[in-house]
Amino acid sequence: MTTHATRPPRRYRPPGQLGGRGPIGGQAKRRLTIAGFLLPALAILTLFVFWPMLSALRLSFTDASGFGREKFIGLENYTEVFTDPDILRAMGNTVLYTVMFTPLAVVLALALALALNSPYLPFRGVFRTWLFLPFIVSLAVAAFAWQYLLDPQVGLLNYWLQGFGIRIGNVLQDPVLAMPTVVLVAVWKNFAFYMIVFLAGLQEIPGSLYEAAKMDGAGPWSRFRNVTMPLLGNTTGFVLIIATIAALQAFDQIYVMTGGGPYKSTQTVVMQIYQSGFKDLDLGFASALSYVLLIATLILSLVQFFVTGRREKDVG
Amino acid sequence: MKKLLTAAAVLAVASLGLAACSSGSDSASTSGDPVTLTFWHGYTEADGDVLEGIVDDFNAAHDDVKIETEVKTWAVIDDTLLTALSADQGPDIVAMPAERLPVYASKGAFADLTDFYADDASNTSELNPQAVAMETVDGTPYGVPTGFVPLSVFYNKALFAAAGITEFPTTWDEWVADAKKLTVDQNGDGTPEQYGMVLPDHATVANGVWPSLFYGNGGDVVEDGTTAVIDSPENAETLEYWSKAVIDDKISPTGVDGVKADELFSSGKVAMTIGGPWMASIAKDNAIDYGIAAIPAGPKQQAASAIGVSMGITAQADDAKAAAAKEFFSYFFEPEVATAWSLGSGWPPLRTDIPASDVADNPTVAALTEIAGTSRALLPGVVNSSDVLAEMDVATQKALAGGDVPSLLGDAQAAIQSTLDEQ
Repeated sequence: MTTHATRPPRRYRPPGQLGGRGPIGGQAKRRLTIAGFLLPALAILTLFVFWPMLSALRLSFTDASGFGREKFIGLENYTEVFTDPDILRAMGNTVLYTVMFTPLAVVLALALALALNSPYLPFRGVFRTWLFLPFIVSLAVAAFAWQYLLDPQVGLLNYWLQGFGIRIGNVLQDPVLAMPTVVLVAVWKNFAFYMIVFLAGLQEIPGSLYEAAKMDGAGPWSRFRNVTMPLLGNTTGFVLIIATIAALQAFDQIYVMTGGGPYKSTQTVVMQIYQSGFKDLDLGFASALSYVLLIATLILSLVQFFVTGRREKDVG
Repeated sequence: MKKLLTAAAVLAVASLGLAACSSGSDSASTSGDPVTLTFWHGYTEADGDVLEGIVDDFNAAHDDVKIETEVKTWAVIDDTLLTALSADQGPDIVAMPAERLPVYASKGAFADLTDFYADDASNTSELNPQAVAMETVDGTPYGVPTGFVPLSVFYNKALFAAAGITEFPTTWDEWVADAKKLTVDQNGDGTPEQYGMVLPDHATVANGVWPSLFYGNGGDVVEDGTTAVIDSPENAETLEYWSKAVIDDKISPTGVDGVKADELFSSGKVAMTIGGPWMASIAKDNAIDYGIAAIPAGPKQQAASAIGVSMGITAQADDAKAAAAKEFFSYFFEPEVATAWSLGSGWPPLRTDIPASDVADNPTVAALTEIAGTSRALLPGVVNSSDVLAEMDVATQKALAGGDVPSLLGDAQAAIQSTLDEQ
């Protein structure tokens, strides 16, 4: 008799399950292996994300300033968030920024992705690189560059436009135009990333679907409406969510270009968090405001997730 | 291969451990060693070298104390002090722009210096009282001044000569009249190519341009550190006077902040700017032949808001370190040291008993020392001064854009009072 005869029949194990070659202790060993792989990432996340988040949650109920003892003050910070006129104005500005930034960036990204995906476009690689360039530049650096371009006294943009008899004036100090200007800079900086995501989505769509639609007599608009858009649903949902999150966190170019002015008309929630936490040294209040922003972002993302998810289902 | 990698990793870890050991033994101090103090400051130019020299001299004269300076920019100090102190890795002495000191002091970051000021040996009795006022929060001093200088007018001598102006104006009316002469619209398109002056309407140099003008007509922004007084008939007159000059007479570009004002002056586009002593070297670098003059007197008085720098002892310093730091402060205010520091930093002497003739070697300092008596601390004792100044900026910016002055001042008054009530 050989050992082969006594061995139980080999059970199928999906390739995804790691470790555990023998039947005894397989489960435990597998878990250990999984934990081993997760540990480094978890340790980093715990140290630099979860722990600070929990600390901030605790701080948000105190009057912490970073020095000495902090006092527990209950919901006082949160009450202030919803009653301080400056904070409410910053929230309004952030909503305004998001409403301007998200559709503009997403539509521009989609339009350019469609153009780049067209087989008739010459030098596609060149355009793709050019259009992606702004995304590589740091936003703070780009903001400095734009600030100088837009300068009313020494700026190139004003100088060139003057040749055509156009005066744009001091846009960054104009309470009406400052916000659209910082939005445009953010769109210029960020659209390329969304464009690449769209481009990847477009290239997933099988060409045979377009051929079939063409045979059924669908024109370009109808093909876009009935083939491209439904199949890009997932991508669009993803882009909308990340663009909205990016908009809610607007800070860099505003800090550099307007400092929240003129008359606080570009003061966003993150600018306010910076001001409260690092200028006024009111860490408790800044933490509370951060949590309010976090929850607002979470709710908005969930809504978008379900809305785009439902549309998927309707279409599918 | 695997073994080799493992060996390399072990070696790397071991060497890290060794490095940690060696750096540890460096900082270990024995009982005979002097008290070592860390001093953060932002004097990065020639002034930094002079300060370094003062610290070296002090160290040489004191066997029991050793001050180690760390030079950072003012912005870096402001961004890192909080985290450094809460991690016990901060400085024992730190210098910072005076308007930031009350914020930190109110959070308990600085040691109370009441006893130090009361001590005759501290050399503080001759200090400019306005400079000391900016160190005080709720009647308690938390720092000592390292610089206090009035804002002054820098003017372009070549442009003045071209316009035929020989004497610098001494009253507002003369000032505006000269600014009009210096404003040139060559192509007649309504936008001058050269402006008589630059009057920033927000984030002005050390936030002091508008307070200086308000003082000139007998107004103020905050009284006793607790009461908003910006909505006064005097201030309304001031704002209306200057918005008329800017909007109707176009003597200054609009929407400009302090940094932009410096740039416009150094590019020769404006003939006058209100600035700090550093404008002297900026003008020199840009080959502009400049003059320095006091801000012309307003209808009520001649006054200028001051730019201040303070230094304090942090809560991190223990008793021995605090005592050593106080020793350094007293040394810093000895007449010879104070004079050397004034000449080296380009700022007027902090002691009122040092006459302008003692600093005549540096004409800029001498000129500033002449007018130092009219300088006033900006919002002394106001903890959240940046919020107060932001509200003032809203009023001045809107006024220079043609807003209704009385209602703007009313809004600013309410906003500033509620900011003061919060602190």
